Amino acid sequence: MSAVAGRRFTLARALLYTILLLFAVVYLMPLYVMLTTSFKTLEEIHQGNMLALPGQWTLAPWREAWGSACIGLECSGIHGYFFNSIKIVVPAVLISGLLGAFNGYVLTKWRFRGHKIVFGLMLFSCFIPFQIILLPMARVLGILHLANSTAGLVLVHIVYGIGFTTLFFRNFYAAFPDELVRAAKLDGAGFFTLFFRILLPASVPIIVVTVIWQFTNVWNDFLFGVSFASGDSAPITVALNNLVNSSTGVKAYNVNMAAAMVAAVPTLIVYVLAGKYFLRGLMSGSVKG
Amino acid sequence: MSFLHIHNVHKRFGSTPVLKGVDIAIAQGDFLVLVGPSGCGKSTLLNMIAGLDTLSDGELLLDGVRINDLPPAKRDIAMVFQSYALYPSMTVAGNIGFGLEMRKVPRKARREAIERVARLLQIENLLSRKPSQLSGGQRQRVAMGRALVREPQLFLFDEPLSNLDAKLRVDMRTEIKQLHQRLRTTIVYVTHDQIEAMTLATRIAVMRGGELQQLGTPQQVYDDPSNLFVAGFMGSPSMNLIPGRVVERDGEPWVALDAEETQVLLPVRRDRDALRQWYDREVVVGLRPEAITDPASADRREGDVHEAELPVALVEPTGADLYVVTSLGGKRINARMRPGGAVEPGSAARFAFDVTRMVVFDPDSEQRIRSPAPDPA
Repeated sequence: MSAVAGRRFTLARALLYTILLLFAVVYLMPLYVMLTTSFKTLEEIHQGNMLALPGQWTLAPWREAWGSACIGLECSGIHGYFFNSIKIVVPAVLISGLLGAFNGYVLTKWRFRGHKIVFGLMLFSCFIPFQIILLPMARVLGILHLANSTAGLVLVHIVYGIGFTTLFFRNFYAAFPDELVRAAKLDGAGFFTLFFRILLPASVPIIVVTVIWQFTNVWNDFLFGVSFASGDSAPITVALNNLVNSSTGVKAYNVNMAAAMVAAVPTLIVYVLAGKYFLRGLMSGSVKG
Repeated sequence: MSFLHIHNVHKRFGSTPVLKGVDIAIAQGDFLVLVGPSGCGKSTLLNMIAGLDTLSDGELLLDGVRINDLPPAKRDIAMVFQSYALYPSMTVAGNIGFGLEMRKVPRKARREAIERVARLLQIENLLSRKPSQLSGGQRQRVAMGRALVREPQLFLFDEPLSNLDAKLRVDMRTEIKQLHQRLRTTIVYVTHDQIEAMTLATRIAVMRGGELQQLGTPQQVYDDPSNLFVAGFMGSPSMNLIPGRVVERDGEPWVALDAEETQVLLPVRRDRDALRQWYDREVVVGLRPEAITDPASADRREGDVHEAELPVALVEPTGADLYVVTSLGGKRINARMRPGGAVEPGSAARFAFDVTRMVVFDPDSEQRIRSPAPDPA
């Protein structure tokens, strides 16, 4: 009886793993094609055989994508746009994250009349579709003389991100023990000391969540980038699009794939690095149990 | 001049009154315990003293200074919280020193103060640990260290032992008491545990429903409760509260208590003058279990012992004592007898009542019936 049950169990296991493996292959297939294509020469690509490994490995497409591919009329690769994206994403993530943390702190620990309405309105901003604000935002950026600049995009992403970061931090701080805040007040901590010395150091899990969320959103944004920044100040997503569309007769699939990989790598790195710091139970020990 | 004066303090949340005019005054070095069932307003009162909650009405005076409107940090008060509230990202030393750091105490002096307190609480070897690496008792010590290090005028404790297991609770209770005796600090301590209140306090304030029921020394509150609530709340097992009647005998008031077939008549010793007004009226008689004993262990030197034979309903041995249950006035009555006696359930036994310890209450107002001046017993 038990032997039968055991065999059935392993059979079910095997089936499960087969299905999971199948799904994994399906999901990883595009990545595989991208990677192999980016290391092939153009001639090899034209022979077909999309799934084959490169017969002759070459780094030339990567070098070209980074330094000499033509985007529009300029042929200096995507590296300039890569750094544009860095210039946008770093301040946008830091500032929106910090503002969200502050909002969460005030909305939970320094409650004022109407704090629920304020939070509700901020939450509402999470549900506003990008397309709706394109025209008003273009007008605002024009007035602020920030149109066509990375600074302008930073502003857009901060404004758009605050809703989400506030939501994350508010919910995290709502579960943060009030007794800790009271203890710190009695110890003489003021508004900012309380935030920077007591709450923020205990917020690593939610900081990681916020950074991952904001980083991927800002880095992968295309619509705002293409609408509010063109030419030299465009982010990498827009540059990638332009690279693929800048036709010089033959489609350089290997260069396109290499450029796409370059554009995708930072978000992957953030996932891998930040995931390591995704500590659970950091709060244990501050209060009972 | 009192050191801490809680003067006619009111608190309302919206239209719901939480504190209805509380008046408490204690002297420097006193250990005041606020005790009462949950929801009686004791924690609210403590938070008000700390400055974490505002007063709706009334006044708080600390060493003659009105502190109502001072922010918590300016009150020179330290508090130990129920959950300990240790800062999770700081070490034990960081936790203890944080208050000093906020007060801009130089690093060297801070270091010394932390070490002094750590020695006092025997947590020197824990200073570099994080709170998550500590046991419950150790966290409790760190929380006390954080309060002690600042040497404030007043310590507040908010049910500090309620998260510890029974054994550790008793140990920490003793330590807090020793600490108070050594440092002679003024403490306000909140608990719902009447044993904690009795053992720790120099003054007990019994509260119920936002009102102060009685303020006094533990012995006063225990022996001389001012109403039925205090009588029933303090003491374990609790005071026997027996419905009975005041009768006149030779011009003196006695109380008559109905047993199953007989009646127990006991002379009144306390509040005799007041009880002369109560002839032939219903009252509630309060007698602690230790005031009803077997004849051999009755205290005949101090007390005034009257015996009666009553049926035994139940016997509960605790090892040290034997609690014998009988019935008087339709209620189960606990008597504390010596173990090893020949008391069997179903049979009768002689009960000795020490009437000098008997208190009498008005069943309608639930207040003690007291003579204006103490009787020359």
